Amino acid sequence: MANQSGDVYGLTILSPILQDLTAETSHNCAIRMKLASMPGDESSPFAKVSSTHMARLVVMDDVVYVGMPSCEEHLKSQYLVFETNFDGELDEYLTRMAREIPADVDALWQHCWGYPGTKDVAAFIAYMKKCQITTTFYFADVNNHTVQETLTALQTQAAVAEFIERNQGKAAAELQIAFAHFLEKLRKAPPPVPGRPEKGGPPRIETNMKWATRNAANTKQVTPNE
Amino acid sequence: MSKLDATDIQGIVLRGYNLPFARYLFLEIADAQRGREFIGKLLYRITTGEHWDEGKPEWTLNIAFTHKGLVNLNLPDASLLSFPVEFLQGMKARGEILSDTGENAPEKWDSIWREGRVDIWLAVNSKAKTTLDTLGAELQRVVDETGGAKVVGVQDAGSFWIDGAWSSKEHFGYTDGFGNPDYLGVERDTQPGQGKLLADGGWAPLATGELLLGYADEAGELPVAPIPHLLASNGTFMVYRKLHQNVATFRRYLEEKGKLYAGGKEKLASKFLGRWRDGTPVELSPDAPNAEIVKDKLRNVNFTFGNDSDGTRCPIGAHLRRTNPRDAFGFNGRLVNRRRITRRGLPYGPYVPEDQPVEDSGEHGIIFMALNASLFRQFEFVQQQWVGYGNDARLGNDKDLLLGNHEARDKHMIQGTEDPMNPPFVCGGLPKFVELRGGNYFFLPSMTALRMIAAGTVDPR
Repeated sequence: MANQSGDVYGLTILSPILQDLTAETSHNCAIRMKLASMPGDESSPFAKVSSTHMARLVVMDDVVYVGMPSCEEHLKSQYLVFETNFDGELDEYLTRMAREIPADVDALWQHCWGYPGTKDVAAFIAYMKKCQITTTFYFADVNNHTVQETLTALQTQAAVAEFIERNQGKAAAELQIAFAHFLEKLRKAPPPVPGRPEKGGPPRIETNMKWATRNAANTKQVTPNE
Repeated sequence: MSKLDATDIQGIVLRGYNLPFARYLFLEIADAQRGREFIGKLLYRITTGEHWDEGKPEWTLNIAFTHKGLVNLNLPDASLLSFPVEFLQGMKARGEILSDTGENAPEKWDSIWREGRVDIWLAVNSKAKTTLDTLGAELQRVVDETGGAKVVGVQDAGSFWIDGAWSSKEHFGYTDGFGNPDYLGVERDTQPGQGKLLADGGWAPLATGELLLGYADEAGELPVAPIPHLLASNGTFMVYRKLHQNVATFRRYLEEKGKLYAGGKEKLASKFLGRWRDGTPVELSPDAPNAEIVKDKLRNVNFTFGNDSDGTRCPIGAHLRRTNPRDAFGFNGRLVNRRRITRRGLPYGPYVPEDQPVEDSGEHGIIFMALNASLFRQFEFVQQQWVGYGNDARLGNDKDLLLGNHEARDKHMIQGTEDPMNPPFVCGGLPKFVELRGGNYFFLPSMTALRMIAAGTVDPR
């Protein structure tokens, strides 16, 4: 089951992009424009499907010919590549995509061959499965904990660090009371919300956990010669 | 790999001089032709890596250039464009990567760095303070004679004289200057712990190409270098960063948290850095400093973190573990071999003993200079990923306690055990202990390259 690693599912989809020489804006350009307008961080529409660990969309143009001695080859078409790691089963995830972010999904895939749209969920699922290829590599940070478990663990870790910082050095009895109080509060805390909450939605719990995507340092350098 | 031609390599690349006084002169080139003349006149004074048969010299002199400096010396465009992009851009433009933002942003730097005026770095190291003045005056004479450059800044630095001897302490009270890597072909008394870790637990020098251009690096590749080969070969890149130290804040913070930490103030200080303030590696002696280990060259840099994966001896986020994780990431330490830098720094400003009052606004800091073949792959990676971020060490967004450009609520975790004297501890509310006051990236050419630059014969064809 290469597409599954523990409870995490790795989905790779290659959808052939329409070629229409008469179009004012070619379909691949239209996809690129839509992608460029979408936020890449936790406010991405794909983060609204709350079981998503990561999602990546790429327009694959062609095989780049790098000169001799390699031979020149070309793909039959351009492809929209969609990669995502999520919790649970494929059908459920695709259903959620169709139901929770139909406008964004349609805006992208309407430029692909044979795309039926999201209204007919069964047809949408069948189409996506037809475009699926086997996933063999996963996002490195995915470790068989659900998004919810990971967020809860991070929230707990940050809260515990804050608790220790506030209370370290206190006498045992005092510490015990404080800890009991803290534990109670932690248990009652609402679960953290994946993605960026909608305006007016439940507030994110304040901890000193910062979202890595907001941290410039998280933009990892890629050393080309490694 | 045979022995390197030490007479073609600037001395500061091959050895830390360990001379107590330093003066860095920053020059702006006034005119390309006369600038080259100026460099030509300096040539015979430049200290190379040749063996010191008669002991340490009275003084040393070294030279390096910013990219703008090379532009102002009229190097051919084909050479100028062939430098790695981070050097071409300079440190100021790399601020986002380096976390040189907020209080550390270029707008807050000293004017010579803020205005980007520096073309040339000239470094004098000497045994006596008076030599700085006499040699400084002599250099000024050469500047005036040729009219090729103008001194736009001077920075003095030097070791502290403490209890009747030169000390390698810095302002926070830590003994500095232990762990520089060994490189193949560099003649040096090697110490176990200073090169790369081998599968059998021994240590070997790093590939020459991690330090010098023109040689194979740890991946068996030649580092990205300018053309022609002669311009690059035996040269290296240098980072220069003037790091102001908020000594009062550091002392206050250590005092305050030291009272809460069961191990006490000095042990807490050791958990910040990974060395006790006398230099004892925490990994080797977690409970107390040990002067015997500090003196013992077979031991004072000879340790690994493989048996301390929980960080209960040396915290995972301790400065020396972050910046040189050795085997902490597994794979016998092979993940760090291309991320090593060679440090050549000195403190600046007067040393204030622990029992004397001190203020943050005082002139206290360290001139951080690091040499590496690739600024991008080595210095910038360490600064971005290991100092400014914690993910590789599984520390999330935590930054280096000492060097981190902290924001409110930043913390440093000290892992602990059930031993009441070694409890887990969280250092929260981290203030900025260190602030950046400026700096840049420099190219430190070989003697051959300097001669070519001076003669205007750099020929990339």
